[in-house]
Amino acid sequence: MRSALPLIRVQRRLEVPRRVSAAVSAVFILLSFAVAALIFELMGVSSIATFGVIASVFTNPNLLLQAILRGLPIGLAALGLSIAFRMNFWNIGAEGQLYMGMFAATGVVLLHEYQGLIAEPLVIVFMVLASFVAGGLYCALSAALKAKMGVNEVLTTLMLNYVAILFVDFLVYGPWRDPKGFNFPLSIQFPDYARLGFVMGSPSYEGLAMLLVVAFLVYGLMRHTTLGFEMRVVGESPEVAKHAGISYAKALIIGGFISGGLAGIAGFSVVSGIIGRLRPRASPGYGYTAIIVAFLALLNPWLIIPASIFFGGLIVAGDLIQASLKLPFAAVQIFQSIIFLFIIAGEFMKRYRIIVSWR
Amino acid sequence: MTLEKRLTRRKFLGVSTGAAAGAVAAGAIIGGIAGYFAGQSTAPTKEVTRTVTTTVAGPAQTVTKTVEKPVTEKVKAGYVYVGPVGDFGWTYSHDLGRKWADARLANVESTYIESVPEAEAAGAIETLLAEGYELIITTSFGYMDATAEMAEKNPDKYFVHISGYRSGAAGNAPENMSAAFAEFYQLYYLNGLAAGAVTKTGVVGYVAAHPIPEVIRHINAFVLGANYAYKKRTGKNIKAYVNWLFSWFDPGKTRTAAVSLIEEKNADVLAFTEDSPTTLQVAEEYTTQKGKQVWSLSHYGDMTQYGPNSHLTGQIVNWGPLYLEFYRMVATGTWQSVDIWTRIGDYLPWRWRLPVEKSTAGKPEGTVYLAPLNPAIPSEWQLEIKRRYEEMKELLFEPFSPEGNLDQPIRDQAGEVRIGPGERADHDMLWTMDWFVEYIESELPKV
Repeated sequence: MRSALPLIRVQRRLEVPRRVSAAVSAVFILLSFAVAALIFELMGVSSIATFGVIASVFTNPNLLLQAILRGLPIGLAALGLSIAFRMNFWNIGAEGQLYMGMFAATGVVLLHEYQGLIAEPLVIVFMVLASFVAGGLYCALSAALKAKMGVNEVLTTLMLNYVAILFVDFLVYGPWRDPKGFNFPLSIQFPDYARLGFVMGSPSYEGLAMLLVVAFLVYGLMRHTTLGFEMRVVGESPEVAKHAGISYAKALIIGGFISGGLAGIAGFSVVSGIIGRLRPRASPGYGYTAIIVAFLALLNPWLIIPASIFFGGLIVAGDLIQASLKLPFAAVQIFQSIIFLFIIAGEFMKRYRIIVSWR
Repeated sequence: MTLEKRLTRRKFLGVSTGAAAGAVAAGAIIGGIAGYFAGQSTAPTKEVTRTVTTTVAGPAQTVTKTVEKPVTEKVKAGYVYVGPVGDFGWTYSHDLGRKWADARLANVESTYIESVPEAEAAGAIETLLAEGYELIITTSFGYMDATAEMAEKNPDKYFVHISGYRSGAAGNAPENMSAAFAEFYQLYYLNGLAAGAVTKTGVVGYVAAHPIPEVIRHINAFVLGANYAYKKRTGKNIKAYVNWLFSWFDPGKTRTAAVSLIEEKNADVLAFTEDSPTTLQVAEEYTTQKGKQVWSLSHYGDMTQYGPNSHLTGQIVNWGPLYLEFYRMVATGTWQSVDIWTRIGDYLPWRWRLPVEKSTAGKPEGTVYLAPLNPAIPSEWQLEIKRRYEEMKELLFEPFSPEGNLDQPIRDQAGEVRIGPGERADHDMLWTMDWFVEYIESELPKV
C-alpha cells in the first residue's frame, strides 16, 4: 500500500568535495539574502535600498574599518576554533577563553601601572603573550579532561564560559575596580601604550595585520609541521593515530592550548583595541559567532579572514539599517538571524543528503 | 513668630526675585522669539533666497539682506540606545524625550539605533557620523568611553553622554562632549515617605540593578524616606532589604527577586531600579490575587496601568528639555561643554515653591517629577510629600541631611556617622556613594 506521507531519510554524505562545499555555502548565503529581501519588502522597505545600505558598509572607508575591528575578535577566535575542530575537539568555549584573555591582558596593564614590573614599550607584547597563555590554559583544561578521563568537551568548554564571565565580573566589581571611577564596575582606562591603534589612528590596521599573521601561522602549523599532521590524524581517527604511534593526549592538549590561546588573543583585541578597559560583559558573544565563521570558512584559515570581516560588517550593517532606514532593532535581528540560520542549514546540507521516497 | 517672619521675608524675596526673573525671562522670551524667527528666515537654502528675491513679497524681503553666509542646515541628531524603545523603562523614556524635543524645534532631524551592546557603542556612533549626524547622544553609562573616544576623533561634531562623569566641563573629555543626567534621589526619598506611610509590616524591599553609586544613593534615599515616615508613625525603625539583579533589564530575575522580598522578608512596599514594570506587576498579583496588599512604584514612565491597585507613586523623567537644550546649542552655534545634573525644580518656567495646597507633586513638570499619588496614602503624609517636593524646588530641603532623618545624623551600616549635624551631602558624596544607611539589613556586594 502506498502511504500518504513520503518517507524522509537523512543520510550522511561520505565525502564532500571542497568545491561542492563552497558552492553550497554560496547558494545558501544567496538564498538567505533573497528571504531577507522578501521580509524587508513585506515590512514596506525597498530591499534594493536596504542592500544598498548594507553594501555601503564595505565601500565607506570608515565603516569598513569598523567592520574589520568588529571582525577582529571573531576572526582570531575562529582561527583558534579551526584548529580545535580539525581535531574533532568541539570547543564551544571560545567565549570563555576570550574572557580569560581579557583578564590576562588587563592584568599586565595593572601590573605595569601599580608595580611597574614591565618596561612600557613591552607592555603590549606581554599583554598578547599573557592573554594567549591564559586562554590556552583555560582550553587545555577541557582538552586534558577529555584526553585523560574522556569527559565530553562540549559540556566542559560551554560551562567554563560562565565561570570565566563571572570571574571577570568579580574582578571589575571588586579588586580591579578603578579607584577614581566613582565606584562604577570598570577597570582603569588603559594608557595609550596599552592600546592598539598606533598605526594611522585606527586599531583596524594592526588588527588586519594580526589576522593575516595568525592565519599564516595556523596554516603553516596545520600543513607543514609534524604537530599539525598529528593533530589532523587525531581528528580523522584516534585509532589510526594510536597505531601510528601518535600520542592522542599530547596532540589534543597542545592543540587545545593553541586553540584557546588564539581566543585569548581575541580577548586582548577586545580590551586593547575596542574598549580600552576591562568591563563586565565586554564581549557580546564574539566567541559564539566565531563558531559559525569557522564553519562558513570551511575551517580554512585564509577564508576565515574575509568571513569574519563579513560578519563584522553585518554587525555594522545592523546599526546602519536602523539609522538610515529607521527600521527597529527587531528587523536587524531578523535579518542577521536569517543569514545565520541559512549558513547553518547549508552546513547540514553539506554533511547529509535528504532522501525522500514513497513507499 | 520668628518662623512667621522668616516666611514673609522669603515670600518677599520669592516675589521680588520672581518679578525680576520674570522681567528677564520676558525679555529673553521676546528676544528668543525674535531670534527664532530671524533664525528661521536665515535658514532656507540659497535657492529659496533666489525665489524670494524674484517674488519680492512680504516679510521675506529682509532675507536677502540678512543672509550673508550660506545656509545653516537642519540639526541632525543621532541617538544610541542601550535597550529596545519598547522596554517601557529607560530607553522608552529617552525616546519619548527625543520626540518631545523634536516637536519643539522645527529645524531638527533625529534618528536612533536601539539595543546597542555597550562594547559596540563606537561602531554605532561611527555609523551615525557616516550618515551625517552631527549631534550624537548616547544614553547608557557604558557608552561613556566610546563617546569620549569618538569625540576626540571628531572635533567638529557634538557629543552628549547621559549618566556618566566624563565631559569637557569636568575636564576629563574633549570640549565637544557634554554630560547630562536627570537625577532621581529626591524623588526616591519622597517615594520612601509614601512607603513608610503605608507599610504595615515595617519592611520595605528594593529590587536593584547594579551596585553602582547611582543605584546605591537611590536605595539610601528611599530607605531614609521610609524610615522618616515609619518612625514618625510608630516610633520604630524601618527594615529594608535589597536584592541585586546585576542587570538593567531582566524581567525574569526581577520577578524572582520581588517574590523573595515579599515571601521571605515580609516586605509590603517594593521599590526598584529595573527597566520593566515587572516589580509593580508582581505587587499587583499579590494585592489582587493573593490577598496581601503590596505596593510598588512607577519607574521612568507612569506605570499605573500595570498595577492600578498597587501603584503608590513613583519617579518619572522627561529627558526632552535636556535634549532641546543641546539641539539649541548646536542650532545656534553656541555650544559649550556642560555637565548638567537636573533635579526637582530644574527646567521649570519658574523655580520657586508653591503653597502645599497648590503643589504640583504628582503632575508632569520639568525633567523629573512624581507619578500621581495614590489616595491610599494618608492625607497628612500626602501633605508632607507635597511640602518636601515644593521645598526641594528651591533646594531648601536635602534628603541626605539630618533634617531628612528626623534630626538624627545619618549613619552607615557600621554605625559610622556619614552626614553629621549641619551637614548636607554634596555632589561628590552623592556621586561616589558606596555605603548603605543603617536601616538596610542586606549587605552591599563589595570588595
